Amino acid sequence: MLASIVSPSGLIILFSIFGIGGIGTTLLRGNNRAQNLWAHIFSITGALWGLIFAASALISNREFYVNGLATSFPFLSLSFHIDKLSSLFIIIICLSVLFCSIYGIGYVKSFYGRYNVGNYGFFYNLFIAAMLAVVTSSNGILFLFAWEIMSLASYFLVVYERHDHKNVKAGYLYLIMTHAATALITLAFILLFNHAHSFDFNTIRASVPSMSMALKNIVFLLAFVGFGTKAGIIPFHIWLPAAHPAAPSHVSALMSGVMIKTGIYMMIRLFLGILLPIPLWWGLTLIIVGSISCVLGVLYALTEHDIKRLLAYHSIENIGIILLGLGGAMVFYSLHLPTLMLLSLAAALFHTWNHATFKSLLFLAAGSVALATGTKNIEKYGGLIKSMPQTAILFLIGAMAISALPPFNGFYSEWLTFQSLIHGVLSGDILVKWVFLGGLVSLALAGGLALACFVKAFGSTFLARPRSVMAKGAKEVSIWMRSGMAGLAVLCLVLGVASAYIIKSLESLGREITASPRAGLITSVSSRQTLQIGHNFGSISAPFITVVAVATPLLVWFVSRYFINRHQKITSSPTWDCGTDITPRMEITSTGFARSLTMIFQPLLRSNLSYDTAPAGSLAPTSIVATVGIVDIYKKYIYGRMYSLINILSIYFKKIQNGNINAYILYILLALIIALAMGI
Amino acid sequence: MLKIHFFQVTVSVVFLSSIYFHLAKRNIRISMVYGLQSAGVVALLFYSYLQKGSPLILVVVLATLAVKVIIAPTFFIRLINRHKFKFAVDPHVKMALGLAIIGLISGLVTLHIFSPLTTIIPANQTYLTLALASMLISVFLIANHKDALSQIVGILSLENSIVVFAIFAGLDQSSILDLGILFDIFVWLFVAIAFISMMYRHIGSIDVTRMKRLKD
Repeated sequence: MLASIVSPSGLIILFSIFGIGGIGTTLLRGNNRAQNLWAHIFSITGALWGLIFAASALISNREFYVNGLATSFPFLSLSFHIDKLSSLFIIIICLSVLFCSIYGIGYVKSFYGRYNVGNYGFFYNLFIAAMLAVVTSSNGILFLFAWEIMSLASYFLVVYERHDHKNVKAGYLYLIMTHAATALITLAFILLFNHAHSFDFNTIRASVPSMSMALKNIVFLLAFVGFGTKAGIIPFHIWLPAAHPAAPSHVSALMSGVMIKTGIYMMIRLFLGILLPIPLWWGLTLIIVGSISCVLGVLYALTEHDIKRLLAYHSIENIGIILLGLGGAMVFYSLHLPTLMLLSLAAALFHTWNHATFKSLLFLAAGSVALATGTKNIEKYGGLIKSMPQTAILFLIGAMAISALPPFNGFYSEWLTFQSLIHGVLSGDILVKWVFLGGLVSLALAGGLALACFVKAFGSTFLARPRSVMAKGAKEVSIWMRSGMAGLAVLCLVLGVASAYIIKSLESLGREITASPRAGLITSVSSRQTLQIGHNFGSISAPFITVVAVATPLLVWFVSRYFINRHQKITSSPTWDCGTDITPRMEITSTGFARSLTMIFQPLLRSNLSYDTAPAGSLAPTSIVATVGIVDIYKKYIYGRMYSLINILSIYFKKIQNGNINAYILYILLALIIALAMGI
Repeated sequence: MLKIHFFQVTVSVVFLSSIYFHLAKRNIRISMVYGLQSAGVVALLFYSYLQKGSPLILVVVLATLAVKVIIAPTFFIRLINRHKFKFAVDPHVKMALGLAIIGLISGLVTLHIFSPLTTIIPANQTYLTLALASMLISVFLIANHKDALSQIVGILSLENSIVVFAIFAGLDQSSILDLGILFDIFVWLFVAIAFISMMYRHIGSIDVTRMKRLKD
């Protein structure tokens, strides 16, 4: 049974479901409801089949290749490889797709009559199929082809709500950045091809021992920047906070939760699977970049008052955390510490999975709030827990998970990352120790700031009183949308409770990725379901923490309800308001909440505070508006200067395009002579 | 021996006529020499017909004769007489420098780096070298001359050189394809002549550098 599922036919069925889903949607012209259902029923079916397929592959310990489906394009053969790493990523992708698609059935109703639902359905299914192709391809050209399709499909989804010019602008930025990244990745593959004379991953891996270190270093840098741009590492992240919020919310969830992980997938595949052995500085670079990304990502999130941009910045933070684990694994590999390498890699993989889950949940919840209120501005929310109680609870679960609060999954993967970093501090030379220590401090700082940020996000959105007419009129979203979110919330809890077994399995998986079958495992699971690291180095019991986390509030409620307040009479009366009406203007805004933290990190954020009084210069102004702004240093100092340089060069090179046909023909003549001479 | 002389003469006609286009001052002579160059190509194609005896090749020969040797020069001469632009516009580089560049191009194709192209069939190396030089000299004609007529003749000369190169490189193609290319050239001639007429009517010259307003 399992053998028939885990086979080339199973893979073809997987892609076919999304193919039928995409093409079929466009054929159902004019019927928005049918298009919506068709697109999502097929994506749900595809996700379920993907889960069965990948889970069967993992359970049966089966891996297979699909080779030899040659095409009419040179070098392009439809070669796929299903191993444990790709199976894990299929599961990560399909779980998010499953719940996002359920949510999408309700969300897409808001597009009826405004946008073409057929186009949406086509690109949505194409996007999912392309992501699956990225994590299953075993040929460089096929991978690049799938990567490009994934980028283009997601671009069309980003600009889907094209009536808002900001979305179109965000899509343009995304298109430029993603293609710049693709150019670098393509160059990396061309260099590998030049050495191995093949785009096949296995052939490249076999040729790596004879590859010069200089070439390997160049490939590493190109791939790291290329995949890092897609993953959203700082300073290549500028597209991410613009593009992710622009897409429909469940697409944002997939982009932020899953798509950026394809960059991480390829880093693992290349750096720990193909280019081995690797030098020490590669891993150290990843830890340093990860440390910077996780701290700056969360700091930028703190200053945001667009709820989806806030979440997008948290993706940068979490990619930083994943890089801490991945970088640690690479360092341990270079230091010949395979046991610790597996621990770090398990931390990176587990956080990848967890982030996909809670970030998808948060984007879906943010999308629900934005849909119900018609705005993404947190300052306009407030008091939504009364009108959207279920969404509020689900958002809270996501917020707790991302803030690494037990009993949810985020806590366990961050705890594991801490363990691996602490091991790093205890091993290696002084440079390695300091880099790991930096990572440790960054992770601790990011954890604290993330908690502050989500206190702000949850408090400003759901607590106190509505601060706008839109918030006042908000209503709970449809059952489809709530079901999608609820599924992910349950998953956050399940991944947390079952974390010990998952971590152990991920460690075993790391053995196969890095071809280290003899590497010992540092973790063990006791009969009391406690995960232990080494010999009494660290231990944690997820079931115990879950019971404590659930039982404590229940116990407090029970004691207060039946013992403390048993003989007290509860009376309701208006709150003393000092003789003035309590209005939403008296509430602390999200900007005000984050102001003190923003000012503490002023040198990093380059934040500024300005006041606007009306009427200006009056002794008794009718209103004063305080605005905290930050300077986008990346746009100003990196991309702005790059733009200026390109502009100057363009003006210079424009002289070549002087409108004289003779000059153009002369270029052709020169190019012809050079091409003939070089081609020969 | 006769065959070799025949080849030498025909290829020399093609090569020398491509150089003559750079030197000629009168447009009518350019048109007539193009007819002569095309006649050389027709002769080579006719030789090919005699060798293979395929009726389709004969059709190609006759069509080439009609389009390139008769129709094209006739159309050009009628156009020149109608608009009275008897003299070619001065080129970008003067004659002496132009000849030096032609010499450079001709020398360049004899270099070793081009030998894989010119020795596709080693016995035909000289002809292939001359044909390749003709191609590049024709492109240089288009680049150097300002008047539209010379540029059109340059394109047609380039096409003739490619045909000669293909014949001596043994790159035979189907006669149907040859006929298709000829039809293409035939249509293109009408378009090009219409373009020159319109250009002369609008700006009173066939100097393409005067079409400034077409710039970005």
